[in-house]
Amino acid sequence: MSESHFILILTLSVAAFSIRLLGLLIGDQIRASKQVWILDDLPGLIVVSLVASSLADQSLQAWLTSAIALAVAVRTNHVIMTMGMSMTAYAIIGLIYPF
Amino acid sequence: MKHGLIAILPLAAGAAIYGFAFGLLAAQVGFPWWGVGFMSAIVHAGSSQIVAVEQFANSSAIIGAALAGATLNLRYIGIVASLSEILKELPLPLKIVAIHITGDENWALTMAERARSPSIGAPFLMGSGLAMISVWTFSTIMGAVVGTILPDLEKFGLGFAFTAAFIAMGRSLWKGTPNLIPWLSAFTFTVIAVMFGLPQAYAIVIGATVGLLFSCFIRVKQGRLP
Repeated sequence: MSESHFILILTLSVAAFSIRLLGLLIGDQIRASKQVWILDDLPGLIVVSLVASSLADQSLQAWLTSAIALAVAVRTNHVIMTMGMSMTAYAIIGLIYPF
Repeated sequence: MKHGLIAILPLAAGAAIYGFAFGLLAAQVGFPWWGVGFMSAIVHAGSSQIVAVEQFANSSAIIGAALAGATLNLRYIGIVASLSEILKELPLPLKIVAIHITGDENWALTMAERARSPSIGAPFLMGSGLAMISVWTFSTIMGAVVGTILPDLEKFGLGFAFTAAFIAMGRSLWKGTPNLIPWLSAFTFTVIAVMFGLPQAYAIVIGATVGLLFSCFIRVKQGRLP
């Protein structure tokens, strides 16, 4: 491994950790302020955005499977159950309609 | 801690797929297997590592590659900030460890489980985080060593497992109709941002920010903000 590889790893690790540290400092400040509602709302909004970003450029198969996953999640409120049923649905939809 | 470690295992299996893919990519641009493992352990940021290595392979510009990768991690400002309540009792060294081993999956699982059971806290986060960083590091090493002989696991639907897991976690975080407009706006703006060609990591930051703005607007209209 060259010196460049090492420098890249170290620079990236410092930058990535600085971002996390900034979050820790900001979080403590928000918690002590009147804007504490942000910490209540943020988790759901990030999770929704994670789902949206992974679906945005996906096939109809993925969107249909997501609808099924949502139905299973609403019904069961169980992560593993939702994952299992969704992967099964994804495979079945792929077999019926090869998108 | 053991509870978190076990609960995250199905998600860790999904992360291992991306770990293999990253390990393979990094090996192709000259990182030895131990270098890949070292990077995964001390950076612990999947999408950032992938982008940084890609940029490095294309241009060899170290600072530019590192910054391009790191900016993809900006959502961690919000993610770590939301952990403030969970981490408040921990001593600083453990806080440092906790925020380093926190990733999308174990953070989301912790928040979802905590929404159902308020006793879930730092031990769950750290147990699940330790499992995730271990699996991530090991799978990237394996990708660098044997990645080329594996079949394409995406076609079996394993890639979709993450999306399904996040949908289920969103269900746990749902607090009723006040969430509806902020969540719909976050979803819509994220999709639009991706369709306009923005990297997913930036789109997530945009979506979550727009959702917060809508939530703030609604709270002001309803007189729920001081």
